[in-house]
Amino acid sequence: MKRKTPGFYLRIYAKILAQDLKSKMSYRADFIISTIGMICTNIAGFISFWILFRNFPSVAGWNYYEMLFLYGFSLVSLTPVQCFFDNNWSLRSYVYSGDFIKYCFRPINLFFYYQSEVFDIKGLGQFAFGIGTIAYAWSKLGLGFTPLMLLKLMIFLFSASLIMIALQNAAAATCFWIQNSFYVLDLVTRFKDYAKYPVTIFSPVFRFLFTFVMPIAFIAYYPSIVILRPQEVPLLSWLSPVIALVFFFCSYKFWMYGATRYSGTGS
Amino acid sequence: MKLKKFLTLTRAGIIESLQFRLGTLVIVAGNLLYLIIVYFLWKAIYASAGTDVVNGMTFSDTLIYLVLATALFQFMEMYIVWEMGRGIQSGKIVLDLLKPMPYRRFMFWSYSGTFVTQFFFTFLPTFIVVAVVTHGAIHLGLNLLFFVISVMMAVSINYSIDFLVGTICLYTESIWGINIMKQVVVMLLSGATIPVAFFPEPLKTIAGYLPFCSIYNAPLSVLLESDPQPQTLLTTLGIQLFWCIAMAAISNLFWRVSLRQITVNGG
Repeated sequence: MKRKTPGFYLRIYAKILAQDLKSKMSYRADFIISTIGMICTNIAGFISFWILFRNFPSVAGWNYYEMLFLYGFSLVSLTPVQCFFDNNWSLRSYVYSGDFIKYCFRPINLFFYYQSEVFDIKGLGQFAFGIGTIAYAWSKLGLGFTPLMLLKLMIFLFSASLIMIALQNAAAATCFWIQNSFYVLDLVTRFKDYAKYPVTIFSPVFRFLFTFVMPIAFIAYYPSIVILRPQEVPLLSWLSPVIALVFFFCSYKFWMYGATRYSGTGS
Repeated sequence: MKLKKFLTLTRAGIIESLQFRLGTLVIVAGNLLYLIIVYFLWKAIYASAGTDVVNGMTFSDTLIYLVLATALFQFMEMYIVWEMGRGIQSGKIVLDLLKPMPYRRFMFWSYSGTFVTQFFFTFLPTFIVVAVVTHGAIHLGLNLLFFVISVMMAVSINYSIDFLVGTICLYTESIWGINIMKQVVVMLLSGATIPVAFFPEPLKTIAGYLPFCSIYNAPLSVLLESDPQPQTLLTTLGIQLFWCIAMAAISNLFWRVSLRQITVNGG
């Protein structure tokens, strides 16, 4: 059998993506309303952030613009999970109804094929919003600008997004064991809202928990320090790309393990 | 014999929700972690504020408010928009419309069982824990009675809003977008994410004129006020009663008008 190169997968992805966009466009009203809904979510998130920190000059030694940077960072790093892995939300019903079996019969990677089927274009609004927030906070903080910083920003944004993807994969994959994984997914989704706060506000026990068990601190806090406070970067920040890859790989294995256990519904 | 009909639906709902014990467990665990985050976040905020009282609320006031808001949310969230939207998309709604009971009432009572289980499994434990942990910051007296009355009206307002939004799905056939917009608006303007007392001036006044405050802010402020002025109490409950009736009337009317234009893909 021919070996499947990344190029092969990329071509397949483009083909599936085109089909998905076509089918989305046929429900134009739904598409427009969903996009407005997504924009509303971002605006409301920003308003509550503003109301909260308008009252206080700083929180745990982080000033308003630094908090804003963390907020923008978390928005951008949460975009890929929204855009490319949205099909995780449907996994539960595919498994429940038995339709999941169709994915098992394709001669390509199961995980890839399943995730490629949906591309959620709504996430792009959040991406633009996040980039704008980062740029605004960046200029207000007077951080200066070098190509090296941009490279760092991109690498750390990438690794931060892998963490959230890993969390969501693992949460979605629980449906292979328990029937209603919606609660687990919903739980993880609620936690990402708290990724935007500096982990230093927690007590040591929870700092440990949010770093190694439920790694939400890697979504914005650890990677942002590299840009915000280059003179006091903890080792964990530099390690975050590696940690992200490890988490992603584990979640992938967990997902695939669940999928191979899947025995269908018999219909 | 009318009541018996409704209570049968309640009983069925209780049994149904007890089926998903694991789901309940995950919800409880999730709430606990969420509360921990809220606790540390506000502790850091109050520590940075330098004063004990911010916008007329102490740290324990804010904590009780937010914790009980979450518990109330868990108690009141009925996923009616999802239920209606899915019913419309799959055509199942036709079967419910043919039942010898108005659809609006049927939806409410078939959900009511979950109110009972949610009350005993999430709200009551949370309330007791909060009352014990804060060493009697919750005044236990007549205000509990008013709180119960207030919550009942809040449930009704929340249901009317949900039903109203669900009816919009008849026209748009978009569930996700409509639901997320509703959720965002309700959560922000009802004071469920940030107490209304923290809102800056124009926003506070605007929120006061909208029905959303009556869902979370009204019951919680009734509960937290240890020595209520009869006048403020009456105003709060009066406004709630007004919205209760107004929203019920509007949602009922809108439903009746919309029913004529329903299109369902064969069952």
